[in-house]
Amino acid sequence: MSIEVKNINHIYAEGLPFETVALNDISFNIDDGKFVGIIGHTGSGKSTLLQHLNGLLKPKSGSITVDGVDITAPGKKMTEIRKKVGLVFQYPEYQLFEETVEKDVAFGPKNLGMQGEELEATVKEAIELVGLDFEEIKERSPFDLSGGQKRRVAIAGVIAMKPKILILDEPTAGLDPKAHRELLSTIKKLHKNEKLTILFVSHNMDDIMEMADSVMVLENGTLVMNDSPERVFSRWEELEKIGLNVPQITELMKKLEKKDSSIEGNVFDMEKAASIIKNYINSKESKAQND
Amino acid sequence: MRTKKLVTAAVIASVYAVATIAVAPLSYGLMQIRISEALTILPMFTPAAIPGLFIGCLIANIISPIGLVDVVLGSLATLLAAYGSYKFRKHKWLVPLPPIIANGVVIGWMLYYIYGVDVSLMACMLWVAGGEAVACYGIGMPLIMALDKRKEMFK
Amino acid sequence: MIRDITLGQYFPGNSKVHKLDARTKIIATIMFIVELFIVNNFYGFALATATMFMIIKVSKVPVRFMVKGLKPIFIIIIFTFVINVFMVDGTILFHWKFITISYEGLYRAFFMAARLILLILGSSILTLTTKPLSLTDGIEKLLRPLNKIGLPSHEIAMMMTIALRFIPTLLEETDKIMKAQQARGADFESGSVIHRAKSLIPILVPLFISAFRIAQDLAMAMEARCYKGGKGRTRMNEIKFTRSDIYASVFLAAFLAMIIGTRYI
Repeated sequence: MSIEVKNINHIYAEGLPFETVALNDISFNIDDGKFVGIIGHTGSGKSTLLQHLNGLLKPKSGSITVDGVDITAPGKKMTEIRKKVGLVFQYPEYQLFEETVEKDVAFGPKNLGMQGEELEATVKEAIELVGLDFEEIKERSPFDLSGGQKRRVAIAGVIAMKPKILILDEPTAGLDPKAHRELLSTIKKLHKNEKLTILFVSHNMDDIMEMADSVMVLENGTLVMNDSPERVFSRWEELEKIGLNVPQITELMKKLEKKDSSIEGNVFDMEKAASIIKNYINSKESKAQND
Repeated sequence: MRTKKLVTAAVIASVYAVATIAVAPLSYGLMQIRISEALTILPMFTPAAIPGLFIGCLIANIISPIGLVDVVLGSLATLLAAYGSYKFRKHKWLVPLPPIIANGVVIGWMLYYIYGVDVSLMACMLWVAGGEAVACYGIGMPLIMALDKRKEMFK
Repeated sequence: MIRDITLGQYFPGNSKVHKLDARTKIIATIMFIVELFIVNNFYGFALATATMFMIIKVSKVPVRFMVKGLKPIFIIIIFTFVINVFMVDGTILFHWKFITISYEGLYRAFFMAARLILLILGSSILTLTTKPLSLTDGIEKLLRPLNKIGLPSHEIAMMMTIALRFIPTLLEETDKIMKAQQARGADFESGSVIHRAKSLIPILVPLFISAFRIAQDLAMAMEARCYKGGKGRTRMNEIKFTRSDIYASVFLAAFLAMIIGTRYI
C-alpha cells in the first residue's frame, strides 16, 4: 500500500479565538500506481490535506504512512519524505527563480544531494518527460517562456526529484485549452510510463472522469466520498448541495433523465451518451411513425 | 509613467514591510536583525526604491509597538541610505555601504539614548552596523547578483 | 504561519468611532502613543487602559479581533518582559544561583509589557475603524501644509495605502513560495548563517517577480481609470469634521490633561 492515512486531524490557530478545524478525522488508503482525483469546494481542506502528505504540515493526531514509513513520527527527516512525495502547487510557475531552465529544474534534486553527471542526466530526463526540448530550452531564462512552458518547467522541477508519488494541485488552472489538453496527456504518460501514484486536485470534473481510478470528495475538512468516479458522480444531488458539479456529459444526461426517466442518467462518457440519445430519438420517431 | 513609478515604490514598500514582519520579533528593538535590510540594495536597480524603502520602513515601524521612535528616525535613516545607495549604483560593492553607516549611526544612537541600553555609544553603533552588514552584504550581495541577471523586471 | 496581521484590516461597522473623521482618529492615535510615553506610574496606566477599553466598547469591534493584532507581537512582549525581569538591578526580590529578580525589574517588566500591549491596541483601533481610503485622505489632508516645502503629500499617502493593502497579499505569496520551495527540498532552518542567507534567494526572487507583476497590473488598472495623480483630484465623499469630532477633541484634550496629571500623583 502506497499511502495510508489514519484518522488525521488538523486544527488551525488552536486555542485562539479564530480556531478552525481544517481536517476532521480523515482516513483513506491509496494503492501503488493509482490515479486518485480529489475534489472539493474552496476551503474544504484540499490544500491542507496535500501538504500533510509530503510533510509540510503535521497532523494534530493520527498517522500517515508513505511507502511503509510513518511520516508523522517525531523527528522524521523531511528530505526523506520529499524524495518520495513530490508536490506541485497551484500556479507553480511562480516558484521559478533561477537564471536558466536547467538550473531551476536542478534545484530540487540538488537539495536532495544529487550532483555531477547523475544530476545532469536527471534534469535532462525530467525536462523531456514534460514534453520540452532539452537542448532548445536549457539555457533560456524561465521568465522568457510562455505560461504553458513555464508550468511544465515547474513540474519538471518536481519530477526531477524522482518521487514515487506525485501530487498535483489544479495543474491545469489558467491554461488555454490547447496547453490544458497537452498537460493532461503529459500527466497521463507520466502515470503510465513512470508508474507513479498520482493525486490530482481539480475543479474540472471532465478531467477527473477521464483520468482518475478513484475520487475523494472533501467537504469542510471531512472526507465525504471515496469511490470510483462513476459512483461518485452518480450522486449528483449530493454533490450539488456541497457546491460541486459533475462531468458535463453527466449533467446533460441527468437533466434529460429528469425529463424522461427512460433515459439513463448515470452516463459518464460521450459515446455512451450519444448512443443513448440516438436510440431515444429513433424509438420516438418510430413510435410517431407507428401512431 | 508616474503612476508606474508610484505603484512600484508602493509595492517595494510592501515587500519591505512583509520581509520585516515575517521575521518578527527579531526585526525590532534591540536586535534589529532585518532580512528586509537586504532590500536596501534595490536603489541600484530602480530609483522608485528610494521612496519605496522609506515608506516600507515607515510602515514596518508603525505596526511595531517598539518602533514609534524608530518610525521617525529609522525611516529617515533608511531614506538617506537609499539615496546613498542610488548614488553608488554603478559600483556594486559600495551599494550596501550607505545603509550600514546610516543605520549604524542613527539607530545606534537611538538605542543608546532612548532605550537606555547599558553599553557605550560606540558599542551600540557597531552592534547595529554589524547586524546591518550581515543583512546588506550577506544577503544583499547574493540578491544583487541574482537580480542583476534579471534586470528586465524593473522596466 | 505569519498570516494574521490586523493592520490595514478594516472591520466594518457603524459605531461612533467608525464615523469620526480620519484626521481626528490619526491625531488621537498619535497623541495616545505619545501619552503612553508620558505615563510613568500605575495610575496613568490604569487611566489609559480604562479609556482604551471604553473606546473599544464604543467601536463595537469584537475583542477577538483585537487579540488577533497582538498575536505577532506576543513574542516581543514576552521577550521585553523577560529581559526586564532578569536584567534590571535593584532591591532583590528573589535570588537563586545566577538568577536575580529585583522589585524594579518586575515593576519595569509589567510596565513595558503593558505599554506595548496598549500601543498595539491603540494603533489597531485606528486601522480597524477607518477605511484605508479614509486613512489616505486623512494623511493627505494632514500633510498638505507640507506641500509648500516640496513634500508630495498625495503621492505619499497613495503609496502608503497601496503598500498597506498589499501586505496581506504578499505575506500569503511569501508563504506559498516558501512551501513550494520546501516541497523541492529547500531548507531555511538549518545550516550556517551563509547557507541560510543564500537559501533566501529562492524566496526573494520569486517574491520580487510577483510584486513587480502586481505593480504593473495595478498601474495599468489605475491609468485605465484615468488616474493622473493628485492634482485636481476630487473625492466622492469629502471628509468633514462633524460635531462628534468636536466632542472627541474635547475628550482628547481632557484625557491628555489627566494623563499629564497622573505624573504628579
